[in-house]
Amino acid sequence: MIGRRQLFGAAAMSLAVAHTMHGELAAAAAEVAKSASPEQAADSMHKMARLAPRGTNGRLVRLGTLNLESQQDFTMAFRQMQAQSVRKASMAALDRVLEAEGVDPATPITVEEMRALVEKDPAIGIAAKTWLANQQITWKTLQDYFHANADQYLSEMESTDKTGPGALVLSPNMNIPEYTRHEIHIQPGGYVGDPFAGHMYLYGTNSFYYGNRGSNEQDEIHRSAAAKLPVPKDGKVRRILDMGCGVGQYTVALKERFPDAEVWGIDIGGPMVRFAHMRAAKLGIGANFAQKLAEDTGFPDGHFDIVSSYIIHHELPAQKTLAVIDEARRVTRPGGVYYPLDFNSGGTRMPAHQMYGRWWDHRWNNEVWSFEYHSVPFSEEIGKRGFTEVKPSVALLQGFGARHFVRVA
Amino acid sequence: MQGRVFLARACGSITFRGNIMAAADPKRPTYAVEAVPSDIKNGLFLGNPALDNLMSCVIAMGAEVWATKRRLHVMEALMAKKGITEEMLEQYVPSAAERAAWDADRNRFVELTFGALGNEPYRSIGSSFPKR
Repeated sequence: MIGRRQLFGAAAMSLAVAHTMHGELAAAAAEVAKSASPEQAADSMHKMARLAPRGTNGRLVRLGTLNLESQQDFTMAFRQMQAQSVRKASMAALDRVLEAEGVDPATPITVEEMRALVEKDPAIGIAAKTWLANQQITWKTLQDYFHANADQYLSEMESTDKTGPGALVLSPNMNIPEYTRHEIHIQPGGYVGDPFAGHMYLYGTNSFYYGNRGSNEQDEIHRSAAAKLPVPKDGKVRRILDMGCGVGQYTVALKERFPDAEVWGIDIGGPMVRFAHMRAAKLGIGANFAQKLAEDTGFPDGHFDIVSSYIIHHELPAQKTLAVIDEARRVTRPGGVYYPLDFNSGGTRMPAHQMYGRWWDHRWNNEVWSFEYHSVPFSEEIGKRGFTEVKPSVALLQGFGARHFVRVA
Repeated sequence: MQGRVFLARACGSITFRGNIMAAADPKRPTYAVEAVPSDIKNGLFLGNPALDNLMSCVIAMGAEVWATKRRLHVMEALMAKKGITEEMLEQYVPSAAERAAWDADRNRFVELTFGALGNEPYRSIGSSFPKR
């Protein structure tokens, strides 16, 4: 039978050969190897786990500890199970309620009507509660980890803030409007309120993609959208703007597709663009990032050949969506392409099954502005604001609106 | 130890960190500002706060159990590379002393995790419950 000390020593050796070790890390590994007791070995292993990089899976930097990675693995699997089983059961419950209340499933209803219906069957409460508790665990475990290791992760960002190949522009004194400060997806602190918002967003949203779109650990979804983005008729693509870039996955994908173009990703979340820049820099991709509002970018008139965005609009109040379209028109050159990628917008009344999903997303996923988004006839408004729609056009992602516009001269 | 701390924090109303800016080092900008907190924690889904909290606990425990199990997979993989195979684990016969110790630990585990099922509360805790 293998001794526990030998076991920990063996584990330490495996890690030791996997990394080139320096300073603290080497010292921690040595401590593990000479541990006199299982408890001491466990303490030393824990310390080493915090110090040792765990490598990468393609472009995804592995999470800092095996525990955290496993907790995320659990919440991802739970999310899938919840969607396939628990939520499905809640839909059946909703059907029972509709029948009992005499509501025609095909007749459009309002969110207020939906709220009254969902109180009538406990299966709906269980579905919402299990989904919510799981998502809270996703965020809490990530937040606790990054804050417990704040010095390390702040230092990492500080060391890359001024490195290239792309630029980073932060605006610590700018006014951050209240509408941007909500905890979308119930992510603690939202996009603006936590120094590690970008770290949490990247790892937390990875599990969102599984189940309905597949893996996005290598930016597969963003790259597939970028690959389909139409270019101006004259073929000139010198400058591209990604509005509301988040952690820059779409921005990076655009730079990879158009390596000779100057690509900018902007977002109001300082921690988001800071992380986006660090990630792009470590990937060696020269995308630029700036902390800016999409409705007030500060770029010159007609500066960009392509202006695009990846699901920013459903995070905006209706009036801001219109302001962002106006700003897109201002910074797109005549003949340039404007393609905002976002959900199909479908008004504020819809059949019960659809409204159930929208109510859930709005209420429990804290998509605060989603009903405002759906209140705007999005494509129609873009057409009124100096753009001509190109038809037929392709949706960059299946299930999202096809919105290929060209700036009129 | 880390797992126990997490579980204790996660049970019931999950508490996230508050105003991050307040704790930040002014010489070390984080570019974070105060967020508008969601009101999700106020939601009562199962008709009884205890049930809501219990559900949160169960899911948090699931995360911890899986993290432990996944760590065992890693340990077994590492052990296999050192000559301890899965078959050797399956074939292992504990000594009498080990068996006795494991049985005691199993019983403690069962009692701790499921013992509460034997409770027989019968009186509502409101005004009908004895004052003292």
